[in-house]
Amino acid sequence: MNLMRTNIIKIIVVCCGLVLLLAPASLAQERFRKSAPIPEPLGKLRLPSVESVRLSNGLSVAAVFENSHPFISLELVIQTGESSSPPELPGLASFTAEMINRGTVAISAADIEERVEFIGGSLTTTVSLDQTRFSFIFLDEYLDQALDLLSQMVLQPAFTEREIVNVKRIQFYDFLEKRRDQDQLARRQLLRLLFKGHPYARGFYNEDVIKNISRKDVLAFFQATYRPNNAIIVLTGNLNLATASRKVSHYFNTWRKSELERPALTAPLPNTERRVCFVDLPQAKDVTLFLGNVIFPLDDPDYFAFSVLNQVLGGALHSRLFMNLRETRQLAYFAFSEIEFFRCCGVYAVKARVRPSACHDAVQEILKELDRIARERVSTFELEQAKSYLIGNFPILVEKLDDLAACTFRIATHSLGSAYWGRFYESVMGVDAERVYDVARKYLLHPPVIVIVGDRSVVIDFIDRFEKIEVFDAKGEYRYTLTKGVVE
Amino acid sequence: MKIKILGAWSLFLLIAVSGSVFLEGVQETKSPILSFSRYKLKNGLEVVLSENYSLPIVSVVVAFGAGSIYEEPGKTGLAYFLENMMFQGSANIGPMQHIGHINRIGGVANANTTEDITYFYQTVPSNQLALALWLESDRMRSLEINVAKVEEAKASLLDEIAQRRSTEPYLESSWAFDRLIYPDVAHSHPILGKEEDIRRLSLEDINNFYQTYYVPNNAVLCIVGSFNLARARDLVEKYFGSIPPGKELPPYEPPKPAEKKEIVQSFRELLAPSPAIHLGYRMAAPYSADFYPLTILDYILLKGKSSRLYSRIMRRDNLSLSLSGGIEKRKDVAALKIFAMVNNETMIDICQKAIFSEVQKLRTSFVLDAELQKAKNLFKRDYLRRFSTTMETALFLAEMHFSSVGLEYATGEIDKYLKVTPSEVVGAASRYLGPENSVSLIVRIR
Repeated sequence: MNLMRTNIIKIIVVCCGLVLLLAPASLAQERFRKSAPIPEPLGKLRLPSVESVRLSNGLSVAAVFENSHPFISLELVIQTGESSSPPELPGLASFTAEMINRGTVAISAADIEERVEFIGGSLTTTVSLDQTRFSFIFLDEYLDQALDLLSQMVLQPAFTEREIVNVKRIQFYDFLEKRRDQDQLARRQLLRLLFKGHPYARGFYNEDVIKNISRKDVLAFFQATYRPNNAIIVLTGNLNLATASRKVSHYFNTWRKSELERPALTAPLPNTERRVCFVDLPQAKDVTLFLGNVIFPLDDPDYFAFSVLNQVLGGALHSRLFMNLRETRQLAYFAFSEIEFFRCCGVYAVKARVRPSACHDAVQEILKELDRIARERVSTFELEQAKSYLIGNFPILVEKLDDLAACTFRIATHSLGSAYWGRFYESVMGVDAERVYDVARKYLLHPPVIVIVGDRSVVIDFIDRFEKIEVFDAKGEYRYTLTKGVVE
Repeated sequence: MKIKILGAWSLFLLIAVSGSVFLEGVQETKSPILSFSRYKLKNGLEVVLSENYSLPIVSVVVAFGAGSIYEEPGKTGLAYFLENMMFQGSANIGPMQHIGHINRIGGVANANTTEDITYFYQTVPSNQLALALWLESDRMRSLEINVAKVEEAKASLLDEIAQRRSTEPYLESSWAFDRLIYPDVAHSHPILGKEEDIRRLSLEDINNFYQTYYVPNNAVLCIVGSFNLARARDLVEKYFGSIPPGKELPPYEPPKPAEKKEIVQSFRELLAPSPAIHLGYRMAAPYSADFYPLTILDYILLKGKSSRLYSRIMRRDNLSLSLSGGIEKRKDVAALKIFAMVNNETMIDICQKAIFSEVQKLRTSFVLDAELQKAKNLFKRDYLRRFSTTMETALFLAEMHFSSVGLEYATGEIDKYLKVTPSEVVGAASRYLGPENSVSLIVRIR
């Protein structure tokens, strides 16, 4: 690299010489090209406000006024997710959500698709551990049609046996398809292990459980959880709260509230022992590493300091993990860190894609980086670079209407304060090296759970180097433990 | 020159006429979807500026009229090769440092080569507009091309081709299909290039392509986002004004219309998990009168799960495992492409007949108003999504600059699609979707 720079400088000198001889004087004097221009003062970030009201049936309605897009985003969130599926029927929350798309007493599944497309819309369903989210974006002149359709889907679903069979088939094949995604498999295995014994572990089931679900189960789950006092509607677009609440009330006023059982969730405890797990995925060419541990929930005051830490550690191409594992040691194709949040906790994770022969060395380097950031304060340069990244990137993250809606939905459902929204810049700017050091010590000194996904027949010689390694199959079932390469 | 696209307003009028509901009181606050101003520098660089103060960000796109159709026979892959070289450093910026500079400030950057245009683009915080212009101008005026870099880029491109060959099971047949549907030299080869050509590319070939096509008089610079107009003009002049113009561009010969004759061939794919059909129709040139009804027809036929082909083949008859396609538009040619994977070889014929029968219906009977309206609304959704970010807006402006429509008429484009009538759809279908314009490539597996 240095050699190359020297060459570049030589070339520049030669070029400048030539230019002086051949070109008009103005070209030669272009000194401003030599180095990056100094930035101007940071522009002001003005974000739309998130306002909300509660209707008499307990349904919360939030509105975000945003008039630069010719679309409206309608998010209906049920505050119940996969962790609330009964322990004997994991997957019921996702199954029920999919059944909502599969016809009402008056509209068939095909007609729902027809109506969604008629208004230039797209409707997606996402079920997380804590929530079920129907995200509907459509041309902004069709608000009434969208609310009418969604209200019928949620208030009068048909749950026909025919569609139940269809959904079982589709979800079964989806599972097989998703299993080929090495990164998803690794992430699911990490969370499954971190949440073991906690209701959150129910979210990491496999395809075998889908066949157990019956219409009766779907109906019971639906009646218990799809209630207005367990739901939030967030409308983002060219409308104010008064219009939003009036319209929502018109279409959802027959939705009846009911007593809800929502047991308080305690946060799972962080992992405290060294644990290496291998998931065998036949025919995987490379190896995916996923290391992580439990941290605080989204509304914790440590959020901003940890975000800066994450940035220094592995949030971007110039962060420590990428620079060390890819650029310096050439062990990995990529190496990043990320934070994910649930209602009662968060999880940090380091993910990397490596050559099979490099998997042990790559794990050691990642552990070193985690240890280093918890033992030495980050430099001012790294700190400022990380903050500048977070501040510069934030408006890009909320530019698209669906991204903005995803963000405001988090604000609304987690009741996050202005620090996360209108005062985001200030919240990030306030983080110093000492705060980063504090949160690093608080959360990174516990050893992470290490998950390695690859083809056993390819990786076997390289995972021997781990003292003890638990082996799982691609469904997430425990098979055996290897101690120094020998089956226990 | 100042141009405004009052897209939202004209849409409102159209919808009001068609009797649909529109939000009360909304029209007062509605902003136009796009407004911009444009001018040309002395060196021929076209500059397009569009202010949007929603967020403190700005997108900068530099696009060159330099895609794969400008490659000479035996030198395929040059355009994409040069796109990669543009990240390998220029007089004042080290290899990969363009991306590095942008990432450090939270920005995003990338590039894309198409058949006729190569785009370079980034979004940065609005206080860093000068940085983006500094970076883009440096590689436009002083890209550093040397033997070591060229060899490295060749190895990486050949690697990419090998990787794609081994992971995309229908790649080879899609290339074969392109050779049939676009028989002319300019359009018949893939953007990635042929391996044997890439290996032979010389330093001189690469330099020549750069000096011919990566010049201000063959480029457009689009800036969209939050910036001060006068300041932006000063910065553009400072960074781009002194870049010397290139020579006159070599003449480009548009392809001759293909012979009207049905083509049916088969192809064996080594990696394909199941047999498949590539089916296509050579169509009216982009932005010609028939192009607009054909685009709406594409939505009726195969966009969305309630489209005719999806409903028939995927839902009613269960003939196919996966169905995709749509209109592909290039500089001067267009095609409607349909790709369907089927369970086994005996299904190929049945599936093909089902597709032909759906196409035939469009040639012989009028589309009902409700179905036409749905197609237009889906089209409108996709068209308006192209303005959902400053970067996409800037890319749209760049594309329109190079299109036969031209930027000055870009404003009226959306209405041309939304005004399409049922008889125009039938008319265009009967002119273009006949067997004499069709190309079928049946993919068999080993």
